[in-house]
Amino acid sequence: MASETNTKSARMRKTVYFSILSLLIVLALPLIPYAFDALAVDVKQNKEDKLVALQSPAINLWNDVRQRNGKIEGTSQVKSVDSGILINKTGEDWRRFRLEILVPYGAYLMAGILGAIILFYLVRGKTLISGGRSGERIPRFTLNQRTAHWFTAGVFWLLAITGLILLYGKFVLIPLLGAEGFSITAAACKEMHNLFGPLFLLAVLAMLILLVKDNFFKLVDLKWFAKGGGMFGGHVSAGRFNAGEKTWFWMVMIFGIALGISGLILEFAILGQGREVMALSHMFHGISALILISVSFGHIYLGTVGVEGTLESMTTGSVDAAWAKEHHDLWYKEMTEDSETIVSADKNTQSGIAQSGIASPDTGG
Amino acid sequence: MLEQLVDGIFWDIALVVFFAGIAWRIVDVIRRPGRNDLAESRNSGISGAIMANIRGFFPRREISPRIRIHVIAGYMFHLGLFILLILAAPHVKFIEEHITGFGWTAMPYGVFVITAMISFAGLILLWIHRLLNPVSQLISRRGDHVATTLVFFVMLTGCMALAESSTGLRLFHRFTVELLMIYFPFSALMHAIMFVPSRAYTGSLFGRRGVKL
Amino acid sequence: MSTALERGVDMLKSQVDARVESYFSSCTRCGVCAEACLFYTETGDPRYTPIYKTEPLRKVWQNEHTLWGRLSTSLGLGESMTEKDLSDWEELVYDGCSMCSRCSMVCPVGIDIAYLIRKVKEGMAAAGFVPEGLQASSERALEFGSPMGLTAQSLRAATTALEKEHGIDIPIDVAGAEYLCMLSSSEVVLYSEFIAAISKIFSAAGVSWTLSSKYFEATNAGVQMGNSRIAAQLIERIVEVATELKVKTLISPECGHAYTTIRWDAPNILGRALPFNVVHIMELLDQLRAEGRLKTTGSFDERLTYHDPCNISRRGGVLTQPRHLLNQVAPNFVEMHETMEMNWCCGGGGGVSSNERAEPLRLKVFNIKKRQLDELNVTTLVTACSNCRTMLEEGMEENDMDISVVGITEIIADHLA
Repeated sequence: MASETNTKSARMRKTVYFSILSLLIVLALPLIPYAFDALAVDVKQNKEDKLVALQSPAINLWNDVRQRNGKIEGTSQVKSVDSGILINKTGEDWRRFRLEILVPYGAYLMAGILGAIILFYLVRGKTLISGGRSGERIPRFTLNQRTAHWFTAGVFWLLAITGLILLYGKFVLIPLLGAEGFSITAAACKEMHNLFGPLFLLAVLAMLILLVKDNFFKLVDLKWFAKGGGMFGGHVSAGRFNAGEKTWFWMVMIFGIALGISGLILEFAILGQGREVMALSHMFHGISALILISVSFGHIYLGTVGVEGTLESMTTGSVDAAWAKEHHDLWYKEMTEDSETIVSADKNTQSGIAQSGIASPDTGG
Repeated sequence: MLEQLVDGIFWDIALVVFFAGIAWRIVDVIRRPGRNDLAESRNSGISGAIMANIRGFFPRREISPRIRIHVIAGYMFHLGLFILLILAAPHVKFIEEHITGFGWTAMPYGVFVITAMISFAGLILLWIHRLLNPVSQLISRRGDHVATTLVFFVMLTGCMALAESSTGLRLFHRFTVELLMIYFPFSALMHAIMFVPSRAYTGSLFGRRGVKL
Repeated sequence: MSTALERGVDMLKSQVDARVESYFSSCTRCGVCAEACLFYTETGDPRYTPIYKTEPLRKVWQNEHTLWGRLSTSLGLGESMTEKDLSDWEELVYDGCSMCSRCSMVCPVGIDIAYLIRKVKEGMAAAGFVPEGLQASSERALEFGSPMGLTAQSLRAATTALEKEHGIDIPIDVAGAEYLCMLSSSEVVLYSEFIAAISKIFSAAGVSWTLSSKYFEATNAGVQMGNSRIAAQLIERIVEVATELKVKTLISPECGHAYTTIRWDAPNILGRALPFNVVHIMELLDQLRAEGRLKTTGSFDERLTYHDPCNISRRGGVLTQPRHLLNQVAPNFVEMHETMEMNWCCGGGGGVSSNERAEPLRLKVFNIKKRQLDELNVTTLVTACSNCRTMLEEGMEENDMDISVVGITEIIADHLA
């Protein structure tokens, strides 16, 4: 039966060989067109000698998602602000602005102005009342104006310090307090900043109402600017407020209101603001804050150490007549036309306003 | 450890000093033998005492123009603080857990924040006015400034802890509160309680004479 | 022999009662009291802040009755009292305060500051820091029975002249009369038309009344000075003559502190109820009007207003009676903008008028009255206190104001039916 066994195994061998061959042919079949393609490409290249970019079919979709070519908003089942934007790159712009522009340039601005003031003081020293004090006093700010000023100043400094901690704390305080420690500080500062922020807006508006009357620019202010405010010698005329003070007033009004409004947008983020509005608000807020803080250094310097006789205008409400004559000659003339206005400094009348015939400190302005 | 101290023994000390101190001050006043008014009265002294306590909350029309800042800033601060103490959610919870055992509906968060702003503004305005007005410059005492500063810090630490996310900030707030409670009975802050007998005495004197205080 | 300071401090210590405790415990140094005080509003000098005038008493209270005070005193760090604390306050308390109580009306925590001032004066008087004029008034009152030094003869001379001039009868020392009318020396000397007026009115109304020649003085320099001992002595004299004459009711005349003293303070100063009723002349006149016994005719047509004497209106409670009486005879009666219990003081009460040193200050603070009157454009100012009357007249003269000052009783008498 050897032939039978031989036949059986032979048949089996044939079957197996045939199956494997069929399988290979089936698997190899798709390669044929690829081979043709490859051969064809080779043929083409040989013909034209050009490179063609091989694009992923999904690349356009990804560029749109990444908003590289402008804002594209789709639709979504979720209906809320910015919900049609899959990945919002405004946040990245915002972050980069803050870290690459606001933080460093803000620091340069503050340090620069502070340095300039210190330098100025070291060189020029305190500006004294030339000829000394006269002993006679002229009322300058009412009780309401002084209260509004110190309220604004106090709230401003609370906001400035908490705001600066929130901006620079990452770089300055984390090394000192550690990340966890700083997180507590930052949380506390955020709450304080948010609480006092709206008060600052109201305070600025109060200052506007109380002081805007004498803060409009006039021709005499141009001359004041031209002569550099008298800082480099010579006499400059000024009314109740000189051009520098008026500039500061309007800076506070403009930047202060900008701070207030941008702050409200930032704080009450549940009113439908999208990422862009928030980023813009933050930009305005940061820039306004750093400008105001920097220039406030100058305001504080001039109001305290820099010029003799100035601080008392905002603490006692009155100034020495010689100071008035020197720094605000037109206002001095106006006030002394009414002969009752000048009062001798009397130890009993601390504000010096009492014995003048004008309205009591609590009324008016 | 700090948490145990502030939440534990300091709180107990503060509670005892606060209530015992106030009780002692009140007893000190009422223990003195009263002298009856021997003059025949026109009207009831008791009704004068009660009405003076009520009318005392409303400034007289004749003086109102002169004391606007006292009244407006004063009420901003006092009413604001009172509302915060009683109706702010964290306080309601605290009172329920530690004092009364029952609570009540707290005010919404936004109202809480706005009330805090009004209260702060009032306190700061009052303090600045105290520093600038020649009358209060002359008569203010150190205790007035200490009390103002202490109350301000209680409020400020409360503001800092608003997010209720940090134990440290909560303890800071509670600690300043405990300091205030210990300082309270021996300070000008006692006006919060003593104004009642004060108005009553004056109201009864004027009431007996037929004059509305 | 104790020093002035010791006497003053001891007296102040004895003045601290429950009221004083609750008052000083309530004060928050808000300064509202200053805005009600004419001595502050017209000078701008914060030292005239009412609660500041009570500093000597406050210091004693603090040192004796507060924790910080007692602690710091025992440690030697306290605010100890010095003689300057009393001497420096003499001018504030006696020149710069008329005890008008306007401050008491506005204090947000209800402090009766005038009550405290009265107690401060006790300390000042014990220490001897009292203005010369006031001291002299007290001495004359004690010696002669009148701060102006008038005697029974002066009274009789005045009444005789009035009887002749007006054809009236002025009963003196009539026992069993229903009413005994006291007088202030000003009325005898300066405004004797008051005596004539009441004589006419009582005669028309059928009121039985009398004066006393033994003791007629209604004013009390002891109260003005702050010396309860002298005050009590002077009150006892009134009680004595009223009891002797067996009157039912005492009339307090047109004088401010005389009314508060005899009506409200006397029983408490003496420690016993008085054996008679007390009314202010205006109360009696209004009562007669209400009973129909006071009939008037014609009208006083001048545009006039009424100045409320502080001790009669604000501290005394006689508020509506002058209005009823004026409305009866004066069709052009207008109220001051701040009136009744909130009217402004004439500046001369509480002993200020007896204090010559205080005259420049007093004339300066009259400005508030001037402003009140300028607002109204009146020709006549009516009042019910002879001291106010003098102060107002002096103020008008100083300011060249052409307004005549009249007593209310006089107007009524001039229009009797």
